[in-house]
Amino acid sequence: MKPKLIIGIVAIVGFTSLLMYNFGESISTYTTFEKAQDQTSAHIPGTWDDEKPAEFSLETKRFTFYMKDEDGVSRKVVYPKPKPNNFEDADQLVVIGEMRGDTFHANEMLMKCPSKYNDNDPGQFTEAPKS
Amino acid sequence: MLGIIGKILLSASFATALLALIFYFVAANSDQDKTLKIGNWLFALKTTFLIAASGILIYLIFQHQFQYYYVYNYTSLDLTSRYLFSSFYGGQEGSFMLWILFSALFGFGLMKWTRAPYKAPVLFFMTLTQIFLLSMLLGWDIFGLKLGASPFRTIAEEMPNAPFLQTNPDFVPADGNGLNDLLKSPWMMIHPPILFVGFAMMTIPYCFAMAALWKRKYREWIGPALPWTLSANVALLTAIFLGGYWAYVTLSFGGYWAWDPVENASLVPWLFGTAGIHTMIIQRKSSVAQKSSILFAILAYMAVVYETFLTRSGILGSSSVHSFVDLGLYNQLLAFMLVVSIVGLGLFFWRYKELPSPKKESNILSREFMTVTGAIMLLILGLVIILGTSSPILGRLFVENPTPPEISFYNNWSMPIVMIMAILTVFGQYLFWKKYDAESLASALISPLLVTSAVTILSVILGDVRNLYYMAYLFCGFFAIVGNGWVVVRLAIKKPKVIGGSLTHIGFGLLLVGILASSAYNEPLVDQETSRFNAAVEAGEVTDEQGFTITQKEEMLVLDLDTPTLIGDRYMVTYEGYELDSSVRRGQQNYKLRFEPIDGGKPFYMIPEVYPMLTSSTRDNIQWSVDPDVRTGLMSDIYLYVGGSSYVQEQNDRVAENNSSMQNIADQDTTVSDVPEVQSFNLNPGQTVDVGNYTIRFVNYLETDSTGLPPNTTIGVRAEVELIHKASSRLVTLNPLFAVYSENGQSYIFSPPSFAREFDLEFQFTEINPQDNSIEITVTGLEEEYEPEWVLIVADEKPFISVVWAGTFILMIGFSISIFRHWGKERAKNKE
Repeated sequence: MKPKLIIGIVAIVGFTSLLMYNFGESISTYTTFEKAQDQTSAHIPGTWDDEKPAEFSLETKRFTFYMKDEDGVSRKVVYPKPKPNNFEDADQLVVIGEMRGDTFHANEMLMKCPSKYNDNDPGQFTEAPKS
Repeated sequence: MLGIIGKILLSASFATALLALIFYFVAANSDQDKTLKIGNWLFALKTTFLIAASGILIYLIFQHQFQYYYVYNYTSLDLTSRYLFSSFYGGQEGSFMLWILFSALFGFGLMKWTRAPYKAPVLFFMTLTQIFLLSMLLGWDIFGLKLGASPFRTIAEEMPNAPFLQTNPDFVPADGNGLNDLLKSPWMMIHPPILFVGFAMMTIPYCFAMAALWKRKYREWIGPALPWTLSANVALLTAIFLGGYWAYVTLSFGGYWAWDPVENASLVPWLFGTAGIHTMIIQRKSSVAQKSSILFAILAYMAVVYETFLTRSGILGSSSVHSFVDLGLYNQLLAFMLVVSIVGLGLFFWRYKELPSPKKESNILSREFMTVTGAIMLLILGLVIILGTSSPILGRLFVENPTPPEISFYNNWSMPIVMIMAILTVFGQYLFWKKYDAESLASALISPLLVTSAVTILSVILGDVRNLYYMAYLFCGFFAIVGNGWVVVRLAIKKPKVIGGSLTHIGFGLLLVGILASSAYNEPLVDQETSRFNAAVEAGEVTDEQGFTITQKEEMLVLDLDTPTLIGDRYMVTYEGYELDSSVRRGQQNYKLRFEPIDGGKPFYMIPEVYPMLTSSTRDNIQWSVDPDVRTGLMSDIYLYVGGSSYVQEQNDRVAENNSSMQNIADQDTTVSDVPEVQSFNLNPGQTVDVGNYTIRFVNYLETDSTGLPPNTTIGVRAEVELIHKASSRLVTLNPLFAVYSENGQSYIFSPPSFAREFDLEFQFTEINPQDNSIEITVTGLEEEYEPEWVLIVADEKPFISVVWAGTFILMIGFSISIFRHWGKERAKNKE
């Protein structure tokens, strides 16, 4: 084999392994409040627990609400920004942050919200006016 | 009825497309002109059917035929005609239609301008891709196997189990769900169509590459393919720019780019297309890179289809802020992707051995080497982004249920790649126009390098850049600007028509510098107290009540009405109130914030907006949406949005109160909450008094007629009183009555309340004091201890976003100049 080819293959293999290694490091798995106790940047999907209060406090400048994770466990979540647009509308939330005691401190929050190709859950159909 | 016609038209369109495909296939194999002509007629017929179907869908939308699910789901009665029109492509099905319409339009262009032997196979592949797209719209149900989702399906077909449909199968909703409020923006009119123009055009290089492989003519195809690829690139770039700008200025996403899968979906095809442009240009110049030109043309379209698959099949799940409704097209999209990839790459590798190779290897210091390396870097960058975007699939190699990669994954990998690219552009451009050896190139580059170093050092000092890596990155970016600038200047003197390439590279350099400046040096604007707090957080000195260290900085502040606050150490900001403005969106508030630069600059206003989302708000819950205001400047932008305000809170409280009072009635709960406060004021005509958030003015007495007066009135007089809400300048005029009447020989005072319902206040004209000509006004509900009106703002100063836009524009201009040049060459050949 030509030396150039060998160098090329080594470079490609090296690059790919480094890339894949780094990729593997930069993703994590969706988890739950219980399992997230020791994680610093845990992604937890869930839904807004609308039976408990959700409000933005002017004193602490934090938005506090309760979220139910996929195990059905409801925990207080503190988010250091104003309540995002479409918060109530989201059919799923993903909070990213860490558990401290019983409170989850979210640095980021993603909402699965209606956007470009928004869909409506069939439940809304019953609310349509009956003409 | 029309819906059925629409369905039939789409099916007919699909069937004729299949027929056209067969004729094109025969024509491509046998080179018969007659068969090709029949194919073209069928293609035209197919397009006619599709246009008719689109016309029907638009008609249904404009006629508000809500029995159709698509019309119901994306439109409503209150939409103006331009948004009604945009809702044609506001949903997944309609956007497929728009895509095919553009693709068909370009198909006619190909018919007119493509020469034999490529014409038939190019149209064959163009038709093939349209067949796949058309199949997404069929809505056929073949023995339980669903093929496509028809835009003409009725709500009964969509929701067969809905209870209201079972009681009344002919039920037609009175109004639709409406277009999402966020999409009611002029950008909605223009961004999606341009994106689909880009996607449709990116099909064309693929078709040409496939035609070249089919007909075994590997050289000439780039002539016609190059201007098409360049046009596709300009369209995609414009779409990406519009999307980024839209996200930035109106959607409050906080920035113009977030590595969201949907954004990546348009970037990756652009990168591959750009790689293809590089290799096509160098192939034309010096007969190298024939293989890679074909490969990149295939990859660019594969990227379009793959990203379409990712974003529309529902596989991305929760990893994207853009959620796409899953129409059950997973298998069809997968088939589309596999066919495009297998046919494309399969034919490529089948022909691989006979594909021409360059006779000798190129020297490192040659334009061939530089250009191809640049293309490979673009490819690698695209692959890295694809890897990141594919995390829901590829992440499973590492963990179950994978999350998307952190943003740093994209940033860490793209930074070194673009740095190498930036350096390559300069070497490439120098070598492109003139032969150099190492020594002569070094001496030619001395001046640009000196200028670059000077600019870099200057910007490091002025911008207070402390990160070494950023310094190196800035150097690369400036090198691309200066080095290519040198080339542009030299070329512009001799042959101004050919500056397109060098110009795009300047744009690229500007983009790099602008991206770093605007993202790494983005600074939240906060008041002094918050910034002290943030400094303490950074030092790890702040703990919360449970004793945990607080790591989150505060990036917002509250401004009280008419209280100037120093923010960002640069601006005295005063909240001057808000204005209710329902002209665009019902219930919208425009907040007036006066910025006064403390260094004596000219004061200016920023007017962010808040409005209730009508489509998703309900009676017991108002959902507010914000529209940020961006002040664009040459050096920096101020980006600001309202996170809350006393008005918004009031409205929410009012809704909550209504709810609870309704519940209270249900619960027979009669406990009265706190007793409203009562205050009285003595006023002379024309006199004004300031109370809390209001100004009350006694204008004058009014003559009164007998209506509303009790019998036996001896005195009856009304006062004209103005109530002004200071924050919003809302004015309510009230005419409370003061009357004295006698009954059974006794005199009574009658002063019925007048209501200012908007503010929950009650006015009474309770006394006249003839000695000093004043009257007494009693107001109920006005609290002595009042909360001032406030607004919560989130503001950022983003430096040099203007440079990002400038870079993008220069890229567009550069590409456009190249289109004209290469199209001109092609036209000349067509005339021969």
